[in-house]
Amino acid sequence: MLKIIMPTMMLIPLTWLSKHNMIWINTTTYSMLISLISLMYLNQLPDNNLNLSPLFFVDSLSTPLLMLTTWLLPLMLMASQHHLSKETPTRKKLYITMLVMLQLLLIMTFTATELIMFYILFEATLMPTLIIITRWGNQTERLNAGLYFLFYTLVGSLPLLIALLWLQNNLGTLNLLVIQYWAQPLPNSWSNTLLWLACMMAFMVKMPLYGLHLWLPKAHVEAPIAGSMVLAAVLLKLGGYGMMRITVLLNPLTNHMAYPFMMLSLWGMIMTSSICLRQTDLKSLIAYSSVSHMALVIMAVLIQSPWSYAGATALMVAHGLTSSLLFCLANSNYERIHSRTMILARGLQMLLPLMATWWLLASLTNLALPPTINLVGELFVVMSSFSWSNITIILMGVNITITALYSLYMLITTQRGKLTHHIKNIKPSFTRENSLMILHLLPLLLLSLNPKIILGPIY
Amino acid sequence: MLRRSLQLALGRDVLGRDVLGRGLGTRRGGSRLGKVEGSGGYRGSWVAPVSSFVTFKIRDPGHDVKTVGRLGEGDWNGKMSEIKKKIQSFLPGGAWTQLHDTSYLPPEHSDVVIVGGGVMGLSVAYWLKRLEKPRGAIRVLVVERDHTYSQASTVLSVGGIRQQFSVPENIQLSLFSVDFLRNINEYLAVVDDPPLDIQFNPSGYLLLASEKGAAVLESNVQVQRQEGAKVCLMSPEQLRNKFPWINPEGVALASYGMEHEGWFDPWSLLQGLRRKAQSMGVLFCQGEVTRFVSSSSHAETASGEEVTLKRVHEVHVKIDHSLEYQPVECAIVINAAGAWSGQIAELAGVGKGPPGTLQGTKLPVEPRKRYVYLWNCPQGPGLETPFVIDASGAYFRREGLGNNYLGGCSPTEEEEPDPENLEVDHEFFQDKVWPPLAQRVPAFESLKVRSAWAGYYDYNTFDQNGVVGPHPLVVNMYFATGFSGHGLQQAPAVGRAVAEMVLHGNFQTINLSPFLFNRFHLGEKVHEHNII
Repeated sequence: MLKIIMPTMMLIPLTWLSKHNMIWINTTTYSMLISLISLMYLNQLPDNNLNLSPLFFVDSLSTPLLMLTTWLLPLMLMASQHHLSKETPTRKKLYITMLVMLQLLLIMTFTATELIMFYILFEATLMPTLIIITRWGNQTERLNAGLYFLFYTLVGSLPLLIALLWLQNNLGTLNLLVIQYWAQPLPNSWSNTLLWLACMMAFMVKMPLYGLHLWLPKAHVEAPIAGSMVLAAVLLKLGGYGMMRITVLLNPLTNHMAYPFMMLSLWGMIMTSSICLRQTDLKSLIAYSSVSHMALVIMAVLIQSPWSYAGATALMVAHGLTSSLLFCLANSNYERIHSRTMILARGLQMLLPLMATWWLLASLTNLALPPTINLVGELFVVMSSFSWSNITIILMGVNITITALYSLYMLITTQRGKLTHHIKNIKPSFTRENSLMILHLLPLLLLSLNPKIILGPIY
Repeated sequence: MLRRSLQLALGRDVLGRDVLGRGLGTRRGGSRLGKVEGSGGYRGSWVAPVSSFVTFKIRDPGHDVKTVGRLGEGDWNGKMSEIKKKIQSFLPGGAWTQLHDTSYLPPEHSDVVIVGGGVMGLSVAYWLKRLEKPRGAIRVLVVERDHTYSQASTVLSVGGIRQQFSVPENIQLSLFSVDFLRNINEYLAVVDDPPLDIQFNPSGYLLLASEKGAAVLESNVQVQRQEGAKVCLMSPEQLRNKFPWINPEGVALASYGMEHEGWFDPWSLLQGLRRKAQSMGVLFCQGEVTRFVSSSSHAETASGEEVTLKRVHEVHVKIDHSLEYQPVECAIVINAAGAWSGQIAELAGVGKGPPGTLQGTKLPVEPRKRYVYLWNCPQGPGLETPFVIDASGAYFRREGLGNNYLGGCSPTEEEEPDPENLEVDHEFFQDKVWPPLAQRVPAFESLKVRSAWAGYYDYNTFDQNGVVGPHPLVVNMYFATGFSGHGLQQAPAVGRAVAEMVLHGNFQTINLSPFLFNRFHLGEKVHEHNII
């Protein structure tokens, strides 16, 4: 594991000591090299795990998320170049340092063996994200957004700390590899109910679950592009990953405790999809679509069947790439027009046809077009929820329809239609932007050829 | 070593340059709110912290004077007192607060910035909010320099509305506007607020023409009738029968608007639009636009001419009586600044180029001063008096119910008064306004001038008609200005046209393509006969 952590840590001196005109080149290339290292962890059996050290391990659930995290850093750096171009060198280096620190903490979180270490790093990821949102965001509302983001997650995860400490006392260890075998079934009592809630609420807030999702539209919209990318692609998956790890300890309470949350996520996914149809702000639309997709993941994790776990993992990776891609596209619009309102920039297909291709592919993956991995994930989740209860298929079906509706609405409003006069002289797409989109799409589309690497440990 | 680390702590690198971008003159607590021009030692509102617990030895005032200016290289004492001030400020008991009140500043970002808060700007704001497809989609900011509207053309206007133009588009604009004004309480209703009364007096307009102008008047009336205006032609005898107080000597033909013409109170319209726009979510801010930050790219026209396409992406709004300005990031700018539209257009780079090219075509709108006089004449014409425009150009209308009349005359090109200020020239009334009016209406031979004022026309020196629509080169600047005295009566319709242009990309209800900016470069004048 050190072969990923050390180079990532050394990216920080790399930024501070680089010459001014080499900052972006150095950091982007080296972080892309680091992402190649994480590919070697794929070389393992899916139901086994790779114990790299007493502190770190990877298995087929962590590996796709680790690959997603490391792949995203060079993409974030490429996306941030334009809006930071006017800042002083020290501020640019500070920004990159924040991103690298966040990356470091995320890598360690996804590979942590011990649950307390996972918790500490989980909380620690909040700090660089908060700094990125409040310092480099665009509008005055970013202060409010940072506050919501910080306190929702903190308040949700404080009970988790207490629960983990109690579990440590009870079980003697919180090593993920050991508790798989040592976990006792929890008897049904009030305190165990509270224990279940304490364990799960942190991750519910992070996912986010429909009733606790208020921080997400604010944080995503007000964050700068790299902040939005990392929030949508990786930080939300921390919640899913944590839930999948900790439910090992919480049987058989989950059978009945999960009901309210499953109802909330079923209802929430339709609600948030419907809100997307009424959004006028592009980033806000993508943020609400994230909530909708993550509600499916919550459903899947709470059902706890092999297929649903496979679907959840696939959906997490697929959504990470798609959402990040959509934010990059929205940002490329914003940098040209200086407004996020969708109706002010219409008919872009005429001006930027290649970018229109990326928009089309992004919208198609967002609405889970076969044979992309988005569809694989959604289909697995729909099937397993149907087998859990037949009626859920109606709600899932409605959600899939509305998802298709708003994805196409977003595509048609921004790309098709009559060109507005005031966007006639926007700058053509930069190579950097096109390569950013390709680097998002390539893994997404190639994974549809071999989805079993992202289907998680049960496959 | 210590010195260097202290330098770094203060935000300066090894060479003493300001590293964190927090130079003198930037506001603490947020780098994008409220910037200040220049570096004259203005440091934002620092309140000297008072702490009874911790006291440091402060240097004597002689040394402090040096530190107020630029922090130089060897200014050790200045730096020490800076650090001491910082420490004192965040220790408990200090009076320094992080968050300053910035409610007077415009927002940092707005989709559409409308420069000018007169009836034209407010009309565009209202229609933008009304025609946007999903509700609440666009953020609109109206920037108005003077909230008392002391020099705005809207409130100093005589307030007439007529359809008697010669250009069909002008007639259509006027017809829609009068429909708007007639149904104003359906358009501008706000919950829980009293209905508007704009005091519309539908008394009609009476245009008098001498022998020379009779043929033109008749053809104009034909055009007006085609567009749907209700105008009738009158001979001098009919004139004498209908209006006994008129002296029809020298009048060959008269046209009288029978419906939808008259005058109203512009202030009520302004307040009604403002109230409604505010209820629809338009933000208002008091300030002056001092700079447009734009990005440009080069392009070549079809004829091989090199042009620079510009796009305004930031508007700097300066607050009154202060050096402070706020950069507002925007996607679209609408120039509705009235008499000062020319200056605003120049700020945006319209007209910077060799004359004769599209690049070098300026916006030909300049302020022209016009006088309005109010007089009392007890034997004057009665309550049915229309707005009379004499063949000589002098005009008058009834004002109120106490035998008061408003009137004036447009001076010729040679006698244009200096638009520097709004001082009234009373000689002008004696020499140029009174004689023709007294000749036309004998009762006006004895009158008493009660008061007078002056207002600006946003005069379009090219063809005295409005400029509407986008600029071909400064791609996201739209114009709604240059109406040369008939702006108020066309404002509701023009607002709708500009909103359609912004939202849909073309004019949908009334086709105002003759009024686009291109005509200045192509030389296509829209010639309007009936300009008062």
